[in-house]
Amino acid sequence: MTTLSLEQRLTMLADSAKYDVSCSSSGSNRKGAPGGIGGTSSGGICHTWTADGRCISLLKILLSNACIYDCAYCVNRSSNPVPRTALTPDEIVHLTMAFYRRNYIEGLFLSTGVITSPDHTMELLIRVARTLREIERFNGYIHLKIVPGADVGLIEEAGRYADRVSINIELPSRRSLQLLAPDKPRESIIEPMRRLSGLIETARRERRQSRKAPRFAPAGQSTQLIVGATPENDREIITLSEGLYQRLGMKRVYYSAFVPVSGDSRLPALPGPPLLREHRLYQADWLLRFYGFSSHELLDEAHPNLDMRLDPKCDWALRHIERFPVEVNRADYQALLRVPGIGVRSAQRIVRARRACRLGEEELKRLGVVLKRARYFITAGGRYLGGVRLDAPELLTRLTAPAKRKASHDQLELFPAAGDISAVTGEL
Amino acid sequence: MRRYRYDGSFEGYLCALSRCLAESVESPEFLCETLPEMSLFHELAVTVETDGEIANAFRQLFAATVSSSAFSTLRYAFCSEHIEIERLLWEYARLGFETGPRLGSMLADKRVNIVDRLARKVAGEAHRYKGFVRFREVEEGFLYASIEPEADIIRFIAPHFVQRVGDRPWMIHDLRRSRAAVYDRKNWRLLVDITLAEPPRFSEAEHECADLWRRYFRRLAIEARINPKLQQKLVPLRCRRHLVEFDES
Repeated sequence: MTTLSLEQRLTMLADSAKYDVSCSSSGSNRKGAPGGIGGTSSGGICHTWTADGRCISLLKILLSNACIYDCAYCVNRSSNPVPRTALTPDEIVHLTMAFYRRNYIEGLFLSTGVITSPDHTMELLIRVARTLREIERFNGYIHLKIVPGADVGLIEEAGRYADRVSINIELPSRRSLQLLAPDKPRESIIEPMRRLSGLIETARRERRQSRKAPRFAPAGQSTQLIVGATPENDREIITLSEGLYQRLGMKRVYYSAFVPVSGDSRLPALPGPPLLREHRLYQADWLLRFYGFSSHELLDEAHPNLDMRLDPKCDWALRHIERFPVEVNRADYQALLRVPGIGVRSAQRIVRARRACRLGEEELKRLGVVLKRARYFITAGGRYLGGVRLDAPELLTRLTAPAKRKASHDQLELFPAAGDISAVTGEL
Repeated sequence: MRRYRYDGSFEGYLCALSRCLAESVESPEFLCETLPEMSLFHELAVTVETDGEIANAFRQLFAATVSSSAFSTLRYAFCSEHIEIERLLWEYARLGFETGPRLGSMLADKRVNIVDRLARKVAGEAHRYKGFVRFREVEEGFLYASIEPEADIIRFIAPHFVQRVGDRPWMIHDLRRSRAAVYDRKNWRLLVDITLAEPPRFSEAEHECADLWRRYFRRLAIEARINPKLQQKLVPLRCRRHLVEFDES
């Protein structure tokens, strides 16, 4: 297995790791310690962007791409006839230090296929993290994948070295998991997530009382969902995410547009990854986390899927047109956040700037508020900026009319029935 | 109209600014000694000596009258090297002394807005360069990085790298301004007029490491999602010359 060169193994394992979306190095703030190297910065730092436009912040790598499980959606499934290889813990430590020192990365994101058993695999991951922290005195970011089914003691140890931990749910519903990942019952994923959430909460509480209390994953836990491999609608996905944020204190839920990595008959044949749908889900996710929306406001039984033509906030606003227009000089922060086109930063700047003067259209522009969509939903100093009647069907036409970029137009055509993939698989 | 000549440094500018405000000059002009084409007016200008104490006193007065975040806005904006930056900051500072802490919320005012925008741009670039600096190992252990940022951000990022790579001596070289932040494992200092006599010779390990990184970087892109336009927005072409992963040779 190790007859391949380091370079070959590195690229093979990068290939296997790249479908994991998470790459953030945020949420943890640790100053460099004397005698050690590195630190973390709470906002995270991106170091470069690959040709697909995704950022590289961490060295994202698998320890091994051999796996005892056979999950249909996964490139590393046991039945996939691809060459298997591994890096030794020492090689990973060495690479991490060499890359980190040259400022290629903020740290390490280590995942792996499951080798022999969950406990054995978890021990290998911990060995890497422990060597980095204790021998190399590495203070940079470490994101460790938690192997479902690993012993609690091992999970606790992993969290002592890691800044962030994650377990990927991958499939949004029990039925899909049963079908595509028969080796992983849903409980085996949710249960350790719940346990992690408890450990993170306890450690946080104890550290508030004493700075000497041990850390446990100070940057929290995250997870990932694959979108488009199974027939769940957006409402199921967003409701699940909301539950994860609220009940498990999840830091991030990542959505990964399904890229077919096998010709398995249980999987849909998509013309390409559903990137626009993934984008809309992220927008909805942001509305949950930073804009005070709840999932039932965005999606309900009558609207189980996000509108591909409009961002979810615009869609919501058109269905609640009676709440508009809002006056930018008076509306409270929460109401400003609900105006399409006004983001967190714009809302904050409006609130700050209106203390000093009354805001008209000119002032808003100067503040950098993008009025393209917002103008239809606000008044500034009593004047409505939309220039048309405030009427939902009329606005819908205006807001969706110019298909400016060809790329997004193509995608609209690709996914007219994003929620109807069951028709493709025929099995669910 | 009155002309003030200063040495081009931020401290120097604060001294000139503080003198000009004390003399309540209307529409002053500031000349930077490092700009040779300005020498035509040199005879007519008042030369302001750079004095750390005066600069510091100005900082304290401004922070107390307006706010320390407004001072930091001023400092970042200065490093934008905008062609009219001295005049813009003079207006900003004068307004600040008139209005006090309220300056912070006057974002919709033209005079504040432009300074605020410049400051945010510089701060944004400084943050990006915390990611874009690429150290290359020259001799045993010595790390060298070259950058060509739009704004003069080196002083904002050097402390970050002291924290980050504190166990090695390093140098971050701004080729555009021929300046370098140099760290000797204890302190960092800013050196001016630094140019290399010959291109740095990298160690054997350096070539291997850069090569591994390049291969890793290329492999990490997902074929089905390739989007060079997006990539170019995030990593502008002008930055790529100094990023080993974009080095095609």
